[in-house]
Amino acid sequence: MIHPYFIENSILSLFSGVVALAVSYYAFRYRRVTGSSFLRLLSVGFMLLGVGLLVQGSIYLLAEFNVGRFVDREALVYGATGVYLVLQSAAYLLIGTGYTIRVQRGASSDGMGTGAAVLAVQAAPLLFGTLVLDIGELVILVLVSFVVFQGAMAYSELKNRLSLYVLLGFAFIALSHLGELLGSLLASGDLYLLGGTANLAGFCLLLVFVVRSGRIGSV
Amino acid sequence: MAQSEKQRSTIRIYLDILNAADEEGNAKTTRLLQRANLPHDRLMKHLAELQKRDLLTEVNNGGNRYYTITRKGREFVSEVRRAQSFLSAFGVSI
Repeated sequence: MIHPYFIENSILSLFSGVVALAVSYYAFRYRRVTGSSFLRLLSVGFMLLGVGLLVQGSIYLLAEFNVGRFVDREALVYGATGVYLVLQSAAYLLIGTGYTIRVQRGASSDGMGTGAAVLAVQAAPLLFGTLVLDIGELVILVLVSFVVFQGAMAYSELKNRLSLYVLLGFAFIALSHLGELLGSLLASGDLYLLGGTANLAGFCLLLVFVVRSGRIGSV
Repeated sequence: MAQSEKQRSTIRIYLDILNAADEEGNAKTTRLLQRANLPHDRLMKHLAELQKRDLLTEVNNGGNRYYTITRKGREFVSEVRRAQSFLSAFGVSI
């Protein structure tokens, strides 16, 4: 048994991945019109998140149903989780950097987000065993918390519904990582599934933001 | 960073010119000068660029020059507004 609620969480990951790619597409599309460097970072960041989620979800499903008759399914799952964690670290580093550039225009972004993500990337070759994966999850939690903090700052300035969707979206994603980390530490399948659900809720809020921003812009 | 700032401000100028042309129907250069709040030489440079991109067309009528927004120009304005709305949620402006 690899993990309880494995199939459910894999499907949630696949849905979240599709939503992340949709957000990436819109950021890319708007970047083409505006040439905004922030949108470039956002587009690449969400693309990495989307690819990571799709890779993780697909490999988990393949492993669960043993489609490829893998010799060592657990190693495959750890590998997929490791790839997903590295991609997420890079993604939240990019999104966090975008926010940092927004706040400190022209200044170099060498804040806590950068340091934490570099640590995660350097740890990539060592991604074996749950302890390292849990540390990776913790690193991502720090990075997402940084993005949530920046989102809260943006919302406190703007106080509009769109910035609230973005803030809540990232807050749910942060909660999902907390749930998945606690689920792993406490060996709780319920927390793990709750994490996956919070992740999907976060991405859905970001999708609502994308759709609503498109409608507002069309008026 | 300096280049992206320049790009953003150019987009905003394009938006002002195209909005003015759209609202006026057939907009005279003097009207666009007022609405875009630009010196004559810079406005002419931007008008040439917008025409090159098929976002604006020049019409000569009785010796007067008028500018009209094209369908592609209207689509461009809509797309920039959507981008503006998207970016504003992150506290970023174009």
